[in-house]
Amino acid sequence: MLDAFLAVLKGLPYSLLLTASAFVIGAIVAVPLALGLRSGIGPVRWLLRLIVDLVRGVPIIVWLFILKFGIQFGHWHFTALNAAIVGLSLVSAAYLAEIFRGGILAVPAGQVEAAHALGIKRAPAFARIIAPQAFRISLPSIATYLIGLFKDTSIASTIIVAEMVFQAQSFARQNPSLVGIWPYIWAGAIYIVVSIPVAMWSRRVDARLQEAK
Amino acid sequence: MSLIADQRSVIGIELEHMTKTFGRLTVLDDVSLHVEPGSVTALIGPSGAGKSTFLRCINLLEKPDSGIIRVAGHTIEAGKNVRAADLATLRSEVGMVFQSFNLFPHLTVLENVAFPQRNVLGRSKAQARDRAMTLLERVGLAEKAHTYPSKCSGGQQQRIAIARALALDPKIMLFDEPTSALDPEVGLEVLAVMRELADEGMTMLVVTHEMEFAREVSDQLVVMADCHIIEQGDPKEIMKDPQHPRTRQFLRAVLER
Repeated sequence: MLDAFLAVLKGLPYSLLLTASAFVIGAIVAVPLALGLRSGIGPVRWLLRLIVDLVRGVPIIVWLFILKFGIQFGHWHFTALNAAIVGLSLVSAAYLAEIFRGGILAVPAGQVEAAHALGIKRAPAFARIIAPQAFRISLPSIATYLIGLFKDTSIASTIIVAEMVFQAQSFARQNPSLVGIWPYIWAGAIYIVVSIPVAMWSRRVDARLQEAK
Repeated sequence: MSLIADQRSVIGIELEHMTKTFGRLTVLDDVSLHVEPGSVTALIGPSGAGKSTFLRCINLLEKPDSGIIRVAGHTIEAGKNVRAADLATLRSEVGMVFQSFNLFPHLTVLENVAFPQRNVLGRSKAQARDRAMTLLERVGLAEKAHTYPSKCSGGQQQRIAIARALALDPKIMLFDEPTSALDPEVGLEVLAVMRELADEGMTMLVVTHEMEFAREVSDQLVVMADCHIIEQGDPKEIMKDPQHPRTRQFLRAVLER
């Protein structure tokens, strides 16, 4: 049982690495995407809408297989880890862009009007007035997405990234004598233990921000 | 210390042949208005008459379809492109107060009044804070400086919004139903500040349903109905003896409540 736990735990750094890199890259890419989805230029808006819906419409596992096995330039192709990071970042960017866009839309129109009426120009009005409020509104959705993403990194096991579920599977295969369910129970437990603090942190920040609402 | 930086504003508002449509709906149909420097004009009329749109056209929150706006030393011809820098300058010289206050909820009261000064006028942090505190004191809310707007009553929020607009030293103030979202008692605090501002010589254009304020404080009363100005002149005379049947009907409805 302890062996099973230690084996699964070896996968945790990979799960965290995938989550952190996909979240950070996704969030950075999502900002211009969210702005572009609100662009006044029709073709820009349509193109980005098409891309976002395409990325969200295809299951993550399909993206990972396409990236890992479908893309090759000469001898170069994605390593399993890189394919997983790129694929999860891509999907995160699309989802977070939608979350950010929703947050921006939820800021009352009077806020932009007040900023404009004061003579605050578009860029600072967005950066200092709209974006902080949009972020506040989006925060619970962002935290929910982050927890979901952490669990979705398990999909990388299918392209042989040595994260927790992959470790659980290989331990189960190598130790057929042991009750095979244990590594999976440990994996589940670790997912929960890591997720709970994120949920708690998000609720606390949200409560604090509500005060200044 | 006065509410306005340079007393006795010498700038008025001149609006000529303003027309505004939303799709097929005409909201303003060839409306012209002159507001004397240092005077107060009250704009009344039934809802849907185009009062708010008219006001919002003056600082270009709405783009009029045609017409000429002369305000605070700027001449704007509708339909022509206005450079972003000119637009920002115009708007900083024309203060606006909204029905729903529109304070920035993520900034403290002090920051609400100080941030626009720093961003628009490039004032230093210390200068902006000094001016903000002076104005907050003047509207009786210095003790609220470090709280968030959500901790203030509606009347307090509206007085903060007035301080925020005044902090940019505007030459003209536009008020869009500033007391309509407030209960009558709280509305009086706001009207008191507006009255002081008028006494100090600010040029003001006020869309309102406060007949008492319109009668006592304003120099000119303008009645709008169905996209037009139907009557304008001395407030007391119009209220006593309205010429237009629509004005009579409106005043009867408002005064007999």
